[in-house]
Amino acid sequence: MFGNTGKIIWADLSAGTAEHRTLPEQYYRNFIGGAGLAAKIFWEYGSFEAQPLAPESLLILMNGPFAGLKLSGCSRSAIAGRSPLTGHWGDSSCGGHFAPELRYSGFDGIVLQGKLEEPGIILIEDDEISVLPVREWWGMGVIETTALIGKKYGKKARSLVIGQAGENLVNYACIMNECHHAFGRAGYGAVMGSKNLKAIIVKSSAQRYFPADSDSLDSLRRELDAKITESVTSQVLHENGTAANLEGGVHIGDVPIKNFTSSFWEEMAEELTGSTLTEKYLTNKAACSFCKIACKRVVEIPEGPFSIPKGPGPEYETIAAFGSMLGSKDLAATCKAGRLCNDLGLDTITAGSTIAWAMEAFEKSALTVLETDGVELNWADMDTVIDVVLPQIAFRSSKLGELLSQGSLRAADMIGRGSSEWLTTAKGLEAPMHDPRGGGHGLALTYSISHRGACHTANPMLFMEMGACYYPEIGFEYELNPMSSEYKAESALLAVQIGAIENSSCFCQFADREIAIPEWVRLFNFAAGYDWTVEDMMSAGLRVFYLQRLLNYRFGIRASDDLVSKRLLDPSTDGAPEGVEIDFDCMKKRFYQLAKLDGTLGIPDRRTLENINLSSEANVVWQ
Amino acid sequence: MEYWKDQHEPITAFLKLFEKAKQDPELSEGLKKVNQLIWFDYTEDGPDCSFHVDCRNGNVLSSQGKPSEEPDLTMSLSADDAHRSWSNKLNPVMAITRRKIRVKGSATGLLKLAPKLKKVAIIYEQALNDLNFSDKILK
Ligand code: SF4
Repeated sequence: MFGNTGKIIWADLSAGTAEHRTLPEQYYRNFIGGAGLAAKIFWEYGSFEAQPLAPESLLILMNGPFAGLKLSGCSRSAIAGRSPLTGHWGDSSCGGHFAPELRYSGFDGIVLQGKLEEPGIILIEDDEISVLPVREWWGMGVIETTALIGKKYGKKARSLVIGQAGENLVNYACIMNECHHAFGRAGYGAVMGSKNLKAIIVKSSAQRYFPADSDSLDSLRRELDAKITESVTSQVLHENGTAANLEGGVHIGDVPIKNFTSSFWEEMAEELTGSTLTEKYLTNKAACSFCKIACKRVVEIPEGPFSIPKGPGPEYETIAAFGSMLGSKDLAATCKAGRLCNDLGLDTITAGSTIAWAMEAFEKSALTVLETDGVELNWADMDTVIDVVLPQIAFRSSKLGELLSQGSLRAADMIGRGSSEWLTTAKGLEAPMHDPRGGGHGLALTYSISHRGACHTANPMLFMEMGACYYPEIGFEYELNPMSSEYKAESALLAVQIGAIENSSCFCQFADREIAIPEWVRLFNFAAGYDWTVEDMMSAGLRVFYLQRLLNYRFGIRASDDLVSKRLLDPSTDGAPEGVEIDFDCMKKRFYQLAKLDGTLGIPDRRTLENINLSSEANVVWQ
Repeated sequence: MEYWKDQHEPITAFLKLFEKAKQDPELSEGLKKVNQLIWFDYTEDGPDCSFHVDCRNGNVLSSQGKPSEEPDLTMSLSADDAHRSWSNKLNPVMAITRRKIRVKGSATGLLKLAPKLKKVAIIYEQALNDLNFSDKILK
């Protein structure tokens, strides 16, 4: 096998064992790697009855075929399983440094099953795998744990670590790499915690990567790296990080304000935008392995109420989730809240959104001091968020912490009083910081049809509506108007295929914007030796999209679940999108026709599945 | 060229736009924040078809041709697309993606201007009227 190694680690934590297994080559060709291959593994070996936090549930980490290649954007991996936050299929992507190290050790992924008797870690040193107890690490934050790992296993050791939120099974606990990069979404930190697994550590002795055609791959790699580095997007990301265009986003109504109740706040725009972060607090730029874009920030806030030492800084999502969403324009507070979430191991998007929902509920008296143990939840009160609310969530140490640790959808169910009106979710996952009403109506559609719930990285719809995609080879030449539903279903059908290719090959969505479709195909062929045509590659993307829907179908998800919260569809009352209606039903109906999805069941018919090489899967769902 | 009779017309119009933009407090502040020397290069439509704006050090100075110093940012496009762009009828991100606009150097400063494009279009319309170019206004 080329690019991939064909080998994974299968750890049965209840038995305390970890063994090497090989996967059929056809799995790779059909499902690419990353999120796609994880879906196939779950389909074959996962339990659809097991609750997400039960020992029998599988947690699957997979690389794509390019992990280990020295190319910008290649060093991501995917983690997948049944999400404790949503209850159905999901996955999450993380950059950083773990993916190449795992590949160099000789593995494409890790499947975790069972539960350790006492807190422990998995240590991978080339092909030696040990499961070791670390009772004394339980209770530590991510920062302290990562520092200990560095001390004990050396600076070259790469790790995935959970914080106290994961240990305490908070539904949206994340998994951190080097305190900076997160498998943020859908709660897989809690799944790791439920298995008593504090960390996975990997150390390789050499950089081994064996492509199908090294010479051709090397010249393509150089060509692409130059193209990626020189692009306008990359330069902007390099200079001012992922929040570089926050100010522009506010003016088009893309940035959510106070739990999506407003679409415009000019004063906040300049305070929170990426160039302000650069001017005020940036000390260094950082990157995932081999990435020349280096969109990550390192910040220091030497003084003031939100002072923090030099260390990982916030990305756009964190800045908006703990800034505009909470009615705050205090950039230092977003940095501190982000740092705290990283240490506790909390997804910043769900944490910020759940707190925003709670603040609105408190404002409207649906949530009172009786349920918050006396804590007042007022807009922009960042002291309370940082000192009280986030720790209480991570430790589930109070009524308020317990309520908000569930995520907004379950919390709304628990308190009732009409508070579900203020949710900003799709399939139980809180929407990212891109408001479909201003950012693009197509986002409402792609949030709704995404297998994991409201998500902007499941596919590139956001970039398509912005004008940052052009794929004439597959028919994407539309000049989309973000504030219209025209061509959104057609675009979404291409977006879900490209998104599946991105998330299965584990390529960064910022870096791969510069890669043309024929270049993608060459990359797969030179790295993994697939001999693909454009059509083969797009079919693989569609196959993954369908398989993810089939998994959800088996978890009970139907067409009627492909929805977004009313809040995300109600016309804005201010800003650029003021009064504009989103024609959601029309987009969804057209998408269902184009994607050949059954209008009730939400999955394709038997013939469509058979035609795309999902015959055995068709036999299961169409008995 | 679809909108211009020669290479000088667009430069006259664009310089007029910047002259008027400087008078507008909001746009003038926005331009100062860009803090770059920018060369707008339309030389694909004629050797003299370009102008530059120096927004460094709290100034906004615009002048015909390529700057004598190395620009921080060069934007190369056709004079027609520039007309569409100043009229806010061309999505700059889309134009860059489709290589209608080629960018060299740092575009970070320009992001500061992006939110003001609507206002720029209003002033551009006034500039075209001042120059008796009303027939060129894009509706
Ligand atoms: S662009 Fe940013 S997130 Fe993407 S690979 Fe590079 S450093 Fe990582």
